[in-house]
Amino acid sequence: MKLYKIAVVLLLTLSQAQWANAVFMDLQSGSLMGMVHASVGGTFSDNHHISTGVGYVPKLDNHEEMSMVSLRYRYQNPYQFSFKINEGSYSFSPVSFGAAVLVGSHKELFVELPDQYPDGYYNPTAIRLVFNYQSTLQISKQTQVYFDLSVLDVGLISYVREPEFFMDNYDYLGLEGVTNWGFGLRHAF
Amino acid sequence: MKNIIFLFLAALLAGCEYELSPWQTDAHCPGVSVEENLAKLAAFEQSVGKVDFYQVAIIGDPQQYPGSFENTIKHVNTLDDVHFILLVGDLAETGIKAEFEWMCKAMSKSNKPILSVIGNHDSLSFGKDIWLDVFGPYDYAFTYQDSRFVAYNDNQYEFKNVPDRDWLAKQAEPIDGQEWDHIIGVSHIPPWDADDGFDQHLKDSGYELTIHGHESSFDHWQWQNVLLPHYITTQNRDPGFGILNVYPGVLELDDCSRECTKSTPRIVVPSQPDVVEL
Repeated sequence: MKLYKIAVVLLLTLSQAQWANAVFMDLQSGSLMGMVHASVGGTFSDNHHISTGVGYVPKLDNHEEMSMVSLRYRYQNPYQFSFKINEGSYSFSPVSFGAAVLVGSHKELFVELPDQYPDGYYNPTAIRLVFNYQSTLQISKQTQVYFDLSVLDVGLISYVREPEFFMDNYDYLGLEGVTNWGFGLRHAF
Repeated sequence: MKNIIFLFLAALLAGCEYELSPWQTDAHCPGVSVEENLAKLAAFEQSVGKVDFYQVAIIGDPQQYPGSFENTIKHVNTLDDVHFILLVGDLAETGIKAEFEWMCKAMSKSNKPILSVIGNHDSLSFGKDIWLDVFGPYDYAFTYQDSRFVAYNDNQYEFKNVPDRDWLAKQAEPIDGQEWDHIIGVSHIPPWDADDGFDQHLKDSGYELTIHGHESSFDHWQWQNVLLPHYITTQNRDPGFGILNVYPGVLELDDCSRECTKSTPRIVVPSQPDVVEL
């Protein structure tokens, strides 16, 4: 319940951001952010984006029902190329990087160490860092769709620490072993 | 425009099948279950027949280092006297699917059966569910070369009412009148100080040795008043593992890296309550 309150406050705050050049809404699926992850964010200095959002996964065979909140930063490289298909104009921006703090809400996860443990016994299991890469297609003046590739904190650490293991066992320089993917839609106001 | 939106929505639906969050539970881990590995061990035992000597490799706490774990497994593959591997828990650090899958990838390189027992870190997040799905039961027992190996869950912070003392005693009983050459307990955490009387219970049930992980270095000890040895293997790091040498009536242990050294249990004197002079 606490998480929802935090998320609502963040969403309302960010949607009223005066410093932002533009305010956008983002809807993503997959790439570790939930079956649906809705975010509201602002753009500043043209290429920098900050957003906060709420995600949800229903009860599935391979997932408990769970909600999550996020705080995300993304840098979008200004390089893009434009093209036309059937009278429609599009532009493709291939390089965008970001990071997110993702907090899951479920009784099996914890932010604060439960009482039964001695101090410092575990790090929080509900808080994860997600690093991501996006390719963005501008389909109208205000709307983008994007493809997202993400790496979880422990994946990045393991890959950097033992790259040979991943290169030997997974394709695409071993990145297959640590990356996840998803799609999203972003609309600017 | 309509085509693009249609494609996007189709991809969005397809995305639902992919990694929805770090906490998915469908770890892809073929061939690592207890059931499959016991079947492999039984087939191997049948092929070699009765032997007077064999070894068991003991690997623990490989979490966060799947490459080191794989190297250790490849090294153990070269040790012909090792008949199987006991993997004494903490394959994952935070209990998530990806961590288990990396370890399973390393385990797939083994040419020997691997029998695994759950660790406290494996039990975090949704690791308990992943463990049941991938490896099978938390507690199980098997017989190899007339010795009884009893793997049990003793992660007391993550599970209630463990270890199950009655079940442990039951597993040590003779089956169809067959007495065991050795009875060996296997769990992740060495006996807890607060688990009063547990060592004596194991000893009285016939256990001759227990094997564990959980700690950062090799250890081998026994309470002075019980004399039941507990062997603790080191965190697995390229390679670091224990070897159990099994002879008729005799058990010996080695601490191993590239080379092995003999390990003997140190005696630990139970702490005495403060004496109050009246």
